[in-house]
Amino acid sequence: MAKLSLMFENKLVKEVPVGSRPVSIGRSPDNDLPVDNLAVSNYHARVYVEAGRLVVEDLDSLNGTFVNDLRVERATLHDGDSIWIGKHYIKVDATADAAIPWDSGRKTAAPKINETMVLDTKARRDMLQQAAAMGERSQPGRLRMPTLVVLSGRVDQKEYVLTNKLTVIGKSPMATVRLRGWFKPQMAAQINQRDDGYYLGTGDKVPTVNGTAIPGPVRLSDGDLIEVCGVRLNFIFRE
Amino acid sequence: MRLGVPLVLAKSLEGDVVQIVSGGLTDVGRVRSNNEDAFRILEPLNLFVLSDGMGGEAHGEIASSLAVETIIRYCSDAKEDSGVTLHGASNENWSEKTRRLQNAVLDANFKIFQSAQNNPEQRGMGATVTAAWVNEGKLSIAHVGDSRAYLLRSGNLQQLTNDHSLVAEQVRRGILTRQQAEESDMQSVLLRALGAHPDVEVEVDEAAIYPRDVLLLCSDGLTRMVTEPEIAGTLQAETDASSAAHKLVELANDRGGLDNVTVIVARFQDESKGWRSWLRRGSAKKD
Repeated sequence: MAKLSLMFENKLVKEVPVGSRPVSIGRSPDNDLPVDNLAVSNYHARVYVEAGRLVVEDLDSLNGTFVNDLRVERATLHDGDSIWIGKHYIKVDATADAAIPWDSGRKTAAPKINETMVLDTKARRDMLQQAAAMGERSQPGRLRMPTLVVLSGRVDQKEYVLTNKLTVIGKSPMATVRLRGWFKPQMAAQINQRDDGYYLGTGDKVPTVNGTAIPGPVRLSDGDLIEVCGVRLNFIFRE
Repeated sequence: MRLGVPLVLAKSLEGDVVQIVSGGLTDVGRVRSNNEDAFRILEPLNLFVLSDGMGGEAHGEIASSLAVETIIRYCSDAKEDSGVTLHGASNENWSEKTRRLQNAVLDANFKIFQSAQNNPEQRGMGATVTAAWVNEGKLSIAHVGDSRAYLLRSGNLQQLTNDHSLVAEQVRRGILTRQQAEESDMQSVLLRALGAHPDVEVEVDEAAIYPRDVLLLCSDGLTRMVTEPEIAGTLQAETDASSAAHKLVELANDRGGLDNVTVIVARFQDESKGWRSWLRRGSAKKD
């Protein structure tokens, strides 16, 4: 169970656990963590647990929400992080998360190769309709655009929506996220889309995710903080 | 077994000369009695085509050969005679090369369908096809079926094509996990193939090519037998394209060789600007 400690000038103001319900933070007294300060919006931010990760989300506040020294829209939190809101900060007490590692196994079971068949139109329609019905039940699918929000560093845009299968972060004119400055590599890092998500991989440099250098291609989660070549990016899914 | 070791110089998007070295290999495998896969590499065009045929009585061979030859011919003709009109529903902002490649595949589909119409014993024959065309640093890919194109870039092996198989569609819709798909009995059920209907939806895509990228085209005879990390490792270790192709086929056969296996490897080398720069003026094979 994670715990949030609201602090002002090193004094503990209030402490709350983060469980299945999100923790609301803001000036209004009906928040779980009320912060009595004019620099704080009435409903400033919230913290919740998603897929085993602790996430903080800014609720379009006026002065912003910061994780350590970075202003974020949404970010994954780790043990020891501080969320800054106005002059207050919230200490995060949680177990550390690790990026999901790349799994390289060998094919064990001998696969059965049957004769290839092509479904005829009616059979195909029936199968796909069945598949579609099941798909809709399991995923309420709102459209979520994978986006890289630039937190700091010299690049050519403030944010990037990932639309391609292959995304390159580098100095090359062909790169999606174009690094500016001297001595930047043509291809510093890459983000690739697979069936099950977006994977960050090394290029000429090794990027970090949430502070940890990646050992190999790593699946990105909503809120992850990516850093490479002095550029910090927040990977989020925008609805 | 057929080998190709073409060496071509081509321009990248930045105007640097990128050397393309490729090799391909097809093998019947250890179980099948005939090889229904086919492939061609057309060096002057940087065009790579691979097809996996299906249908009883060795008709798969007819389908895959027809697919490959039709696409090669279509792309070559269009190059020589700019009067060839583009047909079919070409959409979006694809480059001219990508649209032409898409049309080539549509033409192949029609030829296979037509052949089966005219020769009743060929009824039911079909083929997958995956074609890649590199032009000035841009890669155009067109495919129908479950033969794949991959790109190895800085140690990361990325599948460029979406399998047009039932199980892959189920994975995309969240009904099966990738693991379940790989163990399914229904892996060979395709949703799209050449020759089944007079029209087919050809999926296309484009990608920029960076120096040191490695392109791989392969039939499912490779990916059913060898894991992606093993494929990535082989492509990195074998710096010669032909050796890489050989090694991959060998791996597939070592692991059982349950199906025909075909592999094309194209390596995009970094051409340093030094003593080779004099070649740029005369050699740029512009399409």
